[in-house]
Amino acid sequence: MAAVAAPMASKPRGSKAESFVDNKRREDIRFANINSARAVSDAVRTSLGPKGMDKMISTANGEVIITNDGATILNKMEVLQPAAKMLVELSKSQDSAAGDGTTTVVVIAGALLKECQSLLTNGIHPTVISDSLHKACGKAIDILTAMAVPVELTDRDSLVKSASTSLNSKVVSQYSTLLAPLAVDAVLSVIDPEKPEIVDLRDIKIVKKLGGTVDDTHTVKGLVFDKKVSRAAGGPTRVENAKIAVIQFQISPPKTDIEQSIVVSDYTQMDRILKEERNYILGMIKKIKATGCNVLLIQKSILRDAVTDLSLHYLAKAKIMVIKDVERDEIEFVTKTLNCLPIANIEHFRAEKLGHADLVEEASLGDGKILKITGIKDMGRTTSVLVRGSNQLVLDEAERSLHDALCVVRCLVSKRFLIAGGGAPEIELSRQLGAWAKVLHGMEGYCVKSFAEALEVIPYTLAENAGLNPIAIVTELRNKHAQGEINAGINVRKGQITNILEENVVQPLLVSTSAITLATECVRMILKIDDIVTVR
Amino acid sequence: SISAQNPDISGDRQSGQDVRTQNVMACQAVSNIVKTSLGPVGLDKMLVDDIGDVTITNDGATILRMLEVEHPAAKVLVELAELQDREVGDGTTSVVIVAAELLKRANDLVRNKIHPTSIISGYRLAMRESCKYIEEKLVTKVEKLGKVPLINCAKTSMSSKLISGDSDFFANLVVEAVLSVKMTNQRGEIKYPIKGINILKAHGQSARDSYLLNGYALNTGRAAQGMPLRVSPAKIACLDFNLQKTKMQLGVQVVVNDPRELEKIRQREADMTKERIEKLLKAGANVILTTKGIDDMALKYFVEAGAIAVRRVRKEDMRHVAKATGATLVTTFADMEGEETFDPAHLGSADEVVEERIADDDVILIKGTKTSSAVSLILRGANDYMLDEMERALHDALCIVKRTLESNTVVAGGGAVESALSVYLEHLATTLGSREQLAIAEFADALLIIPKVLAVNAAKDATELVAKLRAYHHTAQTKADKKHYSSMGLDLVNGTIRNNLEAGVIEPAMSKVKIIQFATEAAITILRIDDMIKLVKDESQGEE
Repeated sequence: MAAVAAPMASKPRGSKAESFVDNKRREDIRFANINSARAVSDAVRTSLGPKGMDKMISTANGEVIITNDGATILNKMEVLQPAAKMLVELSKSQDSAAGDGTTTVVVIAGALLKECQSLLTNGIHPTVISDSLHKACGKAIDILTAMAVPVELTDRDSLVKSASTSLNSKVVSQYSTLLAPLAVDAVLSVIDPEKPEIVDLRDIKIVKKLGGTVDDTHTVKGLVFDKKVSRAAGGPTRVENAKIAVIQFQISPPKTDIEQSIVVSDYTQMDRILKEERNYILGMIKKIKATGCNVLLIQKSILRDAVTDLSLHYLAKAKIMVIKDVERDEIEFVTKTLNCLPIANIEHFRAEKLGHADLVEEASLGDGKILKITGIKDMGRTTSVLVRGSNQLVLDEAERSLHDALCVVRCLVSKRFLIAGGGAPEIELSRQLGAWAKVLHGMEGYCVKSFAEALEVIPYTLAENAGLNPIAIVTELRNKHAQGEINAGINVRKGQITNILEENVVQPLLVSTSAITLATECVRMILKIDDIVTVR
Repeated sequence: SISAQNPDISGDRQSGQDVRTQNVMACQAVSNIVKTSLGPVGLDKMLVDDIGDVTITNDGATILRMLEVEHPAAKVLVELAELQDREVGDGTTSVVIVAAELLKRANDLVRNKIHPTSIISGYRLAMRESCKYIEEKLVTKVEKLGKVPLINCAKTSMSSKLISGDSDFFANLVVEAVLSVKMTNQRGEIKYPIKGINILKAHGQSARDSYLLNGYALNTGRAAQGMPLRVSPAKIACLDFNLQKTKMQLGVQVVVNDPRELEKIRQREADMTKERIEKLLKAGANVILTTKGIDDMALKYFVEAGAIAVRRVRKEDMRHVAKATGATLVTTFADMEGEETFDPAHLGSADEVVEERIADDDVILIKGTKTSSAVSLILRGANDYMLDEMERALHDALCIVKRTLESNTVVAGGGAVESALSVYLEHLATTLGSREQLAIAEFADALLIIPKVLAVNAAKDATELVAKLRAYHHTAQTKADKKHYSSMGLDLVNGTIRNNLEAGVIEPAMSKVKIIQFATEAAITILRIDDMIKLVKDESQGEE
């Protein structure tokens, strides 16, 4: 076994039972960490920006994902090196903090690491570098905030613009004119006037349904389920003036425990058992019917059948529509939307717990069917979005893109400032920090200068991905900014430098600030590591 | 500037041009497999799967589905064929060939240093222009849709299949079948639910002896020989439960002390079913269909009453029967009082139910159904493979006829649309001064793959024929008085050019539009990929 392990250690890649082998101890651990983290950042670099390319990932279980979303790529890539894993985590935290800019944050971290590498070679102590980065980062946030333009939530145009900036880099970019306003309206509709700063994206439900094209994506005022109505017994599929109950119990005969059993010793008892079963269910259904309820949403149950043939039959006779297998985590959303209370026991089934809607209808969409509940009375602050796509890959990517767009709008709600896109803020930061570095003393000045230079990676990569000459573009950009045009950025569509605010390429301030803070912190952490100890 | 080192991942990563070339090659390979089956003179494939089952087919979607392609990019093409199959039902081979050709040309452009994003926007523009051009210039409205254009569409679809020799015969059959299931739904829309057409396959006799049967055919016989062969008029009960000895559910134990009690319990078990059957018969049912089983003991009661009982009916069949006869599928006898009754309103009715022998099989036919009409196509053929392929061909033709009826517009087949688009797009490309120009020109060239492959498969001189075809279409688009040339297509039997609209080689316009849309979308999806990460399966768990 040892003989097998030895060649494996020398050649870590390509073997089946691969795990991270710490054969880099001889080298400087810090450099090894930086190198592998940079490699990760390199991997996602080409997917940055509106003309970025996609990655195809074929996972271990044979699933294929095509995506442009940094967080998704890194998440699925299964990197092994611990420092590289930190970058993956970095992208995740950007995803939860801002929801967008997951590629940007990793690319910035990669560039910062590269600069740090040369600083370290020049013999600067990691702690000094780390502290300087911290300072530079603080200054950068100040500069960004000064650049930002305040935005009001009533200014729908600006919100739509920033949502479409986020969508433009995705596979579904051609549909950004449809999806961007959709995302804005969805977020705006769930804002609670009492807590105007906070948006809970769980209040927006995205339902995916294969078929059609992305063009057919739309918001539904009400509820959508990717489910069929249970109609084994011929129950109704369309109910007007619906009274809806969300129940968490089952309409099926109670099961005996394993140890217990019903003992029959007489043939007349057999009839009684069957009859009792019928009466038991009938009793439940009569109770339900008595409240005027005509639509039942039944929570999924793993212990017992939610409904049996018999109860479905009775429900159909009572003209009650049944939707079964509602997921447990959907219940909260459903009850909030319907403005009703979940009913956990038949004894608590009362009319005041029901939700009201004008129409509950099963609609057929291409291959499958969906259920729509519309015209809900006193509807909660929720929104449902029905996403369509011609194949599973496009559909999944459309959902991810829409999620990003929703996050962008959410950022704007919690921090109401916009900033230019297209590399403009980064180049401006680079210029101002560069100037600031000159007035600083000692090592700090040197490190801040490196920080400033590292930020140029964003415009550089944007230009490179768009098939432009990166050096010429970045130089021209620097020149424009030196002349005071702080909003000059790369217009990828035209392939030249223009005022990017006029081109409607805007993003929330929160995305940029969070990207820079998170990237800096991650880099500082990597710098401070000087040993890896593997514990088994 | 930035090092191109690979991150440590448990798998392989490839990026840049390598990936694109590899993806394009994989798609090319897939397209090459189906290429030779395109067109009226395309040949068939014989596929043998791992358990030795043989499929002989000409249908692109079927071939690709059976191939079990593993390469992720090639899988996109397989899914593409399936999508086309679902949305249109025909043209699965064409869509794959066009997508692969678009990719091949795009890859060449990328090698010549054109950025993929420019190609993508060019392709997208070309696609939009093509669809617009088809809808504005190339379609012919089929006013009031007589039978002739429908039959022609069906014939075109079938021309590439095994049954092309009898396409006149089958086209009539198909059109009649589709027209007879026509129905109007609650919203007043006219629908042609082709699922209501039941296709039954029976060995023996030649393909020409296939026929259309009015009524729904169930591929099972009566449950007992003593039952009558024919019941008229029929009252049909559709059940979804067992007519067997009633069993107690789990958790109920029968414990008896007295042996006489045991006998009584057995008797009671049988009687419960007997009572149910009596309720059925009392309601007037004389045809009983169930998806589950019927005990021999229970059959006796049906025989005595002179009713036909059929067991183990497929659930799907049952649903169609219930729909056609107006019956309700009954899952239980329970009523709102907690008792068991059977409501006569649940019975469906038909003029007659007969059992007939087709080949070696007994078949129950339900004729003269009340609420909506159902038809069955009985296919005859020499062997299973032939019957399967006939079914696939008819399925395609049924879909095409349905689409034609729904969209009301047709275009000429035989490469006419592709050539016209190619000429038009080439002209369009020259009017554009941007980077997209090259991509659009390549798109135009790529479309010509269809007439080219058609000609090659027919062993004709592709270069000469396509050149001639393009010349005709150029004339059609430049000279106002020669507009009718726009439906010129290939005549593959004689190796000449003819007006395919007049010759009756037509397809629904919607099929062509979808082919171009889907193929472009798939090509773009693959083009956008510049990185491929393949993770290895985690197999190390069991070791050590």
